[in-house]
Amino acid sequence: MIFENFASFRSSGFTPTVVVIGSGPAGVTISRKLAAAGIPVAILEAGGAEYSDESQDFYRGKTVGDPYFDLDVTRLRYFGGCSNHWAGWCRLMDAVDFEPKARVPDTGWPIRRSDLEPYLDEVHGILDLVPFRDDVPISEDIRWVQLIKSPAVRFAEKYRSEIEQGANIALVLDSYATELQGDGSKVTGAAVWSAGKAQGTLAADYYVPCTGGLENSRLLLWSNERSNGGVVPHAEALGRYWMEHPQFEGGNAIMKNPDQFEMDAVSEAFFSPSAEAMERTGIMNFGVRFIQMPYSGAKRLLAELACVAPESAEWASESVGSRLRCAAQLYVSWEQAPRRENRIVLSSTERDSLGIPRLELHWRKNEIEHRTLLEGLRLFGKTLAEKDYGRVRIADWILNGDPYPADQELAGNHHMGGTRMGDDVKKSVVDRDQKVHGMANLYVGGSSVFTTSGQCNPTTTIVALSARLGDHLARRIGQSAMAR
Amino acid sequence: MAPARFAQAVTRRSIVQVLLAVPALALFRQHAAPAPQERPDELVEVNGWILKRSELA
Repeated sequence: MIFENFASFRSSGFTPTVVVIGSGPAGVTISRKLAAAGIPVAILEAGGAEYSDESQDFYRGKTVGDPYFDLDVTRLRYFGGCSNHWAGWCRLMDAVDFEPKARVPDTGWPIRRSDLEPYLDEVHGILDLVPFRDDVPISEDIRWVQLIKSPAVRFAEKYRSEIEQGANIALVLDSYATELQGDGSKVTGAAVWSAGKAQGTLAADYYVPCTGGLENSRLLLWSNERSNGGVVPHAEALGRYWMEHPQFEGGNAIMKNPDQFEMDAVSEAFFSPSAEAMERTGIMNFGVRFIQMPYSGAKRLLAELACVAPESAEWASESVGSRLRCAAQLYVSWEQAPRRENRIVLSSTERDSLGIPRLELHWRKNEIEHRTLLEGLRLFGKTLAEKDYGRVRIADWILNGDPYPADQELAGNHHMGGTRMGDDVKKSVVDRDQKVHGMANLYVGGSSVFTTSGQCNPTTTIVALSARLGDHLARRIGQSAMAR
Repeated sequence: MAPARFAQAVTRRSIVQVLLAVPALALFRQHAAPAPQERPDELVEVNGWILKRSELA
C-alpha cells in the first residue's frame, strides 16, 4: 500500500508492528523482509514520490573542517532515498575491515564478514548483481579486486509495485518523523508532520530509523534532547566517529601490456592492499581505480609521452588534432580512521522550517589519511615495477604533502558512522543486532551503524546488514508472539 | 634529401617515438648509473616515478 500522506494512512486503519523511518535501500530492504514474514510494517517517508526543492531544503546544513559537499546535495529526501542518485558500484567490505587493528584505535566490529555472507545471495537479487569473483593477489602487497558496476537499482522504481500490492507493508509519503519519544528503556511513539501540520504520534512495537548516515544522528540527537536522554540512554558516541571515503586523483601509470588485467566496460580495474601490507606499513585500506585511456597506435604513444613530458605531448597532440591525457590515470579512495572528533552535532543557530536544528558536520582528514594515500600508491607502484607490469608516477602534491586539491571529487558521498555498532556503550550506539544500547525496541538501519568504513562503496554492505536486521527482527517478533 | 621528401618519408609514428624518447632520456640522465654493488632490479623513486635502478642508466 502507498499513501500520499499521513492522514490517508490513518484513515486506512492499518496498524503497524514496526515503524521504519526512511525509504532508501536500508528502509525498503528491512520492510520487505518483515512484510514477507507476515509482520505489518509502515515506512514513513519524509519526502514525496519525486524530488522536490522544498523537501531537499530540510537537508541543508553546515560543514566545519575540510571542504565537503553541500549537505542538501549529497543525499536525497524522497521515495528511494539515495538509491535515486547512486552510481551502482558494488562490493562487500573485506573480512579484514571487520577486524580490530591494534595500530588504529577504535577499530573492530562486533560482527565479522562471515555474519553477512549468508545474505549475499539475497543481496545479489536485490541489487541485480552477477556473482562476485574472488580477489586475485598480484603480489604479496596488492590484490586485484572486483567492484561490480551494477545497473544501479532505484529502489522506488524496482519495488513500487510490490509495495503497492503488499498487504503487510504501507509506504506513507510526505510524513516527516520529527522526533521519537522514549522513556529511557523503550520508544513510545514517533511524532509525525505531514501535509503542512502536526499529525500527532504514531505508536508501534518497534522503531527503525533508516534515514541515512547523516540524518539518523540528527533524528536521534534531537529526539534525545527532547526526551532528556530517553531515546539513546548511552549517548557518549551518538553522532561521533563519522567517516567518509576521501577520493582524489593520485597519479598516472604506463602499462607494459594493457591486457594484463581484464578491464571493465569503461576500461577500469581496481586494486587494494593485502592485510599484511596494511599491517606492515601502518595504513588503512584503500582502492586504486586504474583508468586506462582508450587510445591505440600513435595516440597511445602520445598519451604515454604525456606521462613523462606533458609539454612536448601537448605540442604533438595538437599536430594530430587531439587532446590526450597520460596513458592511465590512478584515482585512490581510502578508508578513513574512525575518530571521535569527526562528528555530527545539532546547530545552535540554524533550524529547518519546522524549528528542528539543522545538522552541523565536523569533519577532517588527518595524518594517517595522507599516509594511506602516499604509501598505498607506493605499494601499487612497487608491485607494478617488480612484476614488470608497468610503471607508476605519484602526483607531486601527494609527494610534497601539499593541501588536498579543492577542484577534485573530494569524497564518495558515503556517509558512515554516527550510530556505530559495538559492544562498548561509550564508543558505540547500537549493539551487534543494531539495537540501540539500553533500549528494548529501537533499532537503527543503514551506514550510520558502520563501525569502520573499509574502502569500498557502502551500498552492498548496507543491504546485507539490512537483510540481516530484517531477519533478526522477524525472528524476535515471532518469538514474542509465540510467548504471548 | 629535400625537406619536402624528408617529411613524406618520416612517419608520424616515428616522430612520436623520438619525442617520447628524448624527454624520457633527459629525465633519467641526471641520475648516476648504478654502481657495481647496486642491484639493477632495486626500486627507486625519481620525480614520483617508481622505477628499477637499471632504468636510470
